[in-house]
Amino acid sequence: MASAILLLLWRKPSKSRRILGMVVTGFLTLAAVFTAIDLAANATRLVLNLGAWSAPLGIVLVIDPLAAIMLSLSGFTALTCLIYAVFEGTPKAEHPLRIPLLFFLLTGINLSFITGDLFNLFVAFEIMLISSYSLLTLEADDRNVKHAFPYLAINLVGSTLFLIACGIAYSVFGSLNFAHMASQSSQVLENPLLPALAGLLMLVFCVKAGLFPLYFWLPNSYPILATPLGAFYAGMLTKVGVYVLLRLLTTVMPHELNYLHQLLAWMGGATMIFGVIGAVSRHYVRGILSFHILSQIGYMALAIGLFTPLALTACVLYIIHHIIVKASLFLVGGTITCLNGTDDLNRTGGLWKATPVLGICFLLQALSLAGIPPLSGFWGKFLIFSEGLAAGEYVLVAAALIAGILTLYSMLKIWLGAFWAPAPESGVRLDDPRWKPLTALISSMALVSLAIGLGVEWVFRIANTAALMAMDQAGYTRAVFEVLGKGGL
Amino acid sequence: MITPALRKPPSKQRRTAVQIETAILVGFLFGVSIYLVLMKSFVRILFGFVLLSNAANLFLLSMSGDPSGKNAPIIREGGLPVDPLPQALILTAIVISFGVTAYLVVLLYRLFLDQKTTSAAELFREETESENGGKR
Repeated sequence: MASAILLLLWRKPSKSRRILGMVVTGFLTLAAVFTAIDLAANATRLVLNLGAWSAPLGIVLVIDPLAAIMLSLSGFTALTCLIYAVFEGTPKAEHPLRIPLLFFLLTGINLSFITGDLFNLFVAFEIMLISSYSLLTLEADDRNVKHAFPYLAINLVGSTLFLIACGIAYSVFGSLNFAHMASQSSQVLENPLLPALAGLLMLVFCVKAGLFPLYFWLPNSYPILATPLGAFYAGMLTKVGVYVLLRLLTTVMPHELNYLHQLLAWMGGATMIFGVIGAVSRHYVRGILSFHILSQIGYMALAIGLFTPLALTACVLYIIHHIIVKASLFLVGGTITCLNGTDDLNRTGGLWKATPVLGICFLLQALSLAGIPPLSGFWGKFLIFSEGLAAGEYVLVAAALIAGILTLYSMLKIWLGAFWAPAPESGVRLDDPRWKPLTALISSMALVSLAIGLGVEWVFRIANTAALMAMDQAGYTRAVFEVLGKGGL
Repeated sequence: MITPALRKPPSKQRRTAVQIETAILVGFLFGVSIYLVLMKSFVRILFGFVLLSNAANLFLLSMSGDPSGKNAPIIREGGLPVDPLPQALILTAIVISFGVTAYLVVLLYRLFLDQKTTSAAELFREETESENGGKR
């Protein structure tokens, strides 16, 4: 957050400002990755009492392996998007507020990953949302600004519902601290307000994550963003919703809310299908990719809804895979626009002959998204399928399979439209010097994703620890209450 | 910090006594604000969102329980204090919604400048006519 304020003061867009941004996010990513590995290896949590007030009076920040994984992912995505922005345009071309706002957004996202208090989560969400509203309309031209309005409206309503849920949570649990709420899970089961509370919270984060039927804001508003921002939004914002769902349902709420988990699983299934059908319907790259986000979110929701430890591990694995793949696919879309001058698949073409490297990267990521072994997407999907079959949810597994096939089809659309089609009359703009470093960046992201796919045994262990520790309510409570401070209870 | 709510033994069921007038008022405010948000005119949508945040804040206030017989949560006042935590939540929420409302006003103003209309129905009507060229 300090970097956000620093960048704000450094108003003129300059090269050194961008370098500072990249250094900070690089450092953040490295720190978070090492923390994640360390925490997962030792199965511990880091707890910080803000202002040295101990829980439940004060606000606690907790980093457990799940949060550390998300932090490293957000840092990585921000880093790659910043690097892309550096290569894409000169410092003078971009809006001076873009990088500070991006950092505020990052602040909100990171805070929502590590907070241990429901109202602090609300504040973090608001920081994130307000920055995202501003970034959305910062560089949008006049025709596209109106698409921001549904996004704004539904997120405002979502925030209000979140506020109401905070109130009800206070009434039901007596405090808004996650650990305190977790320690009372057994007593609150009889409280008639609990289903209402859990349902409301789920609703709020389903809106944020983009689950059926509340996802209509996403496919219209994401394409209006400039490419690096679009990649960051696509990778991170919806995942914050999924993360909070995961965190609330495992660490905070009692685990016995079966009907809600069922509902979540079915909403996930519906999102998968509708997301992919929507993806097939669009004919410009960013539109297809935006709809894809939805269908993959559906997979994650299905995994959470199945609610066995292995299913939650699958969700975490899938989140790791998806953030990287989705961000890099958006960046590929941006490079296609750069090379061909347009997003529209009817008018692009000839890229396979011109830049086979870009084609290979896209192919790797697209097949990973569709779930071809041994790429990273396959493992998450495989786990979800096996858990789904074990739980007897045959309809949902069938829906997931169909969604996978349709995902492949829509990816083929991009492939055929942009890469294999003959070059358009305007030709492929190979003389534009930007595409080489952009392609290099995308290849490195594809390599990371490939590494995750091939080294999945190792990633699985981390994800498994993360999921198990998230479910371990007693351990979480113990870790938080152990740290003493002023006003200790 | 005096927080009597947390001193309750955890085995007791928590019941927040909400006054019936407050409950009716909150429900009414929510209904009105949702109705306004779904209207066509920008100004009414704006008022709807402002009322919506007011309704949510009032709901939070009612979560501190029945205030009859209790004093303000000031240390020297003595007697049984009203639960102050929801009031702190409301303060934060007011500030946040102030920021968002400011943004909303400017966005609506910019939409007015671009589209030359203050009717939300007009905004998306031309959208459907020029589907192809509209998106980047």
